[in-house]
Amino acid sequence: MSPFIKIPLVLALVTFFTSGLLVFSEKATHDKIAQQKKMLLLESLKELIPDELHDNDLTQDSLLINHPEQLGHRKEQALYVGKLNGKTTVIAVPVTARNGYSGDIDLMVGIKNNGEITAVKILEQHETPGLGDLIQANKSDWLKQFPSLSINKVGIKNWKVKRDGGQFDQITGATITPRAVVEAIKHALEFQHEFLTTTHKEDTIK
Amino acid sequence: MSGFIRKRLIDDNAALVQLLGLCPLLAVSNSVVNALGLAIATVFTLVLTNALVSAIKPIISKEIRISLFVLIIASVVTALEMFMNAYFHELYLILGIFIPLIVTNCIIMARAESFASKNTIWLAIKDGFFTGLGFALVLVVIGAIREILGNGSLFNQAHLLFGEFGKVIQWQIFEDYHGFLIAILPPGAFFVLAILIAIKNKVSK
Repeated sequence: MSPFIKIPLVLALVTFFTSGLLVFSEKATHDKIAQQKKMLLLESLKELIPDELHDNDLTQDSLLINHPEQLGHRKEQALYVGKLNGKTTVIAVPVTARNGYSGDIDLMVGIKNNGEITAVKILEQHETPGLGDLIQANKSDWLKQFPSLSINKVGIKNWKVKRDGGQFDQITGATITPRAVVEAIKHALEFQHEFLTTTHKEDTIK
Repeated sequence: MSGFIRKRLIDDNAALVQLLGLCPLLAVSNSVVNALGLAIATVFTLVLTNALVSAIKPIISKEIRISLFVLIIASVVTALEMFMNAYFHELYLILGIFIPLIVTNCIIMARAESFASKNTIWLAIKDGFFTGLGFALVLVVIGAIREILGNGSLFNQAHLLFGEFGKVIQWQIFEDYHGFLIAILPPGAFFVLAILIAIKNKVSK
């Protein structure tokens, strides 16, 4: 066979089979990946919106918000509302920190009506392994300093890492990442305050 | 140990002697668990790609062999990434960008080119396994040294790989250890690798 026919033929054949492998893998894993992501989400929501503070189905009571300026969103993100007897008790605010060390850091902040944090969850980050990624709950206790704090308790001036004169611990060798996360949490808290005042208006209209 | 195995594990070790695949080796070796995760994925990839390359040996022509290897390696790694995402989701979240980076690991290309495309499938699989094992050993040893020096621990976060059993083998060697930070930072990887290479050269002589 002349090489002008054989070479394209071999390339096409191998491309066909490797594409087939990819199609098969995609088909075989698509549902499972979606399920894993949903499980991870429900798992994180459990801490953000504790069971005793809501009796509604969280996957139903969510709304899509997009606030690039205030919360750093790059696309629509789901905000989850925990309700007890029909009244909002906790909201889980998605926020993106764009000023991390490498790429965006996506997090969720659970906030009670009185402005207290229930929990903070890192959803996605690409910080330096062993340094910046210590913000993740499974790698260090850094995130545990936030629950039960509120802007009123800490004071807006102190809502910074220690390096910047605030009250939050940074991580040795990584200041940029904690600084970005601390700031993002502050934005989420400020957003929650506005959010509550607007929904209360809607509630009275109904 | 037969010469075939010894060559791949020690004498021609991919990481210590051929100095291939240094990017993932240096980047992911900051703890034993990270190192082990990438090591397993690399061995798996090497065995699969070697087998596939050897299987299509009769139709490979010299002019397009590199493109064919790249095609096969890239799709095997992508498929592997999807399966890891589906079945080892938490580990996948940690190893993250290093899984696609396996594509750029030149050990895999080197074995396809210099061995798998010239030998039978069975030999290619054996070659892939032991070359990968040689790389994996160095990866895990560097990971252990860096984790002990930098963190004072061994097998930290092992539950991500082994589930409940992992929590048992997590071992904080030095309590209240403040960490020798440079060991975890990238320069630490170069120092530890250099020391290992020096030891290997000394012993081989």
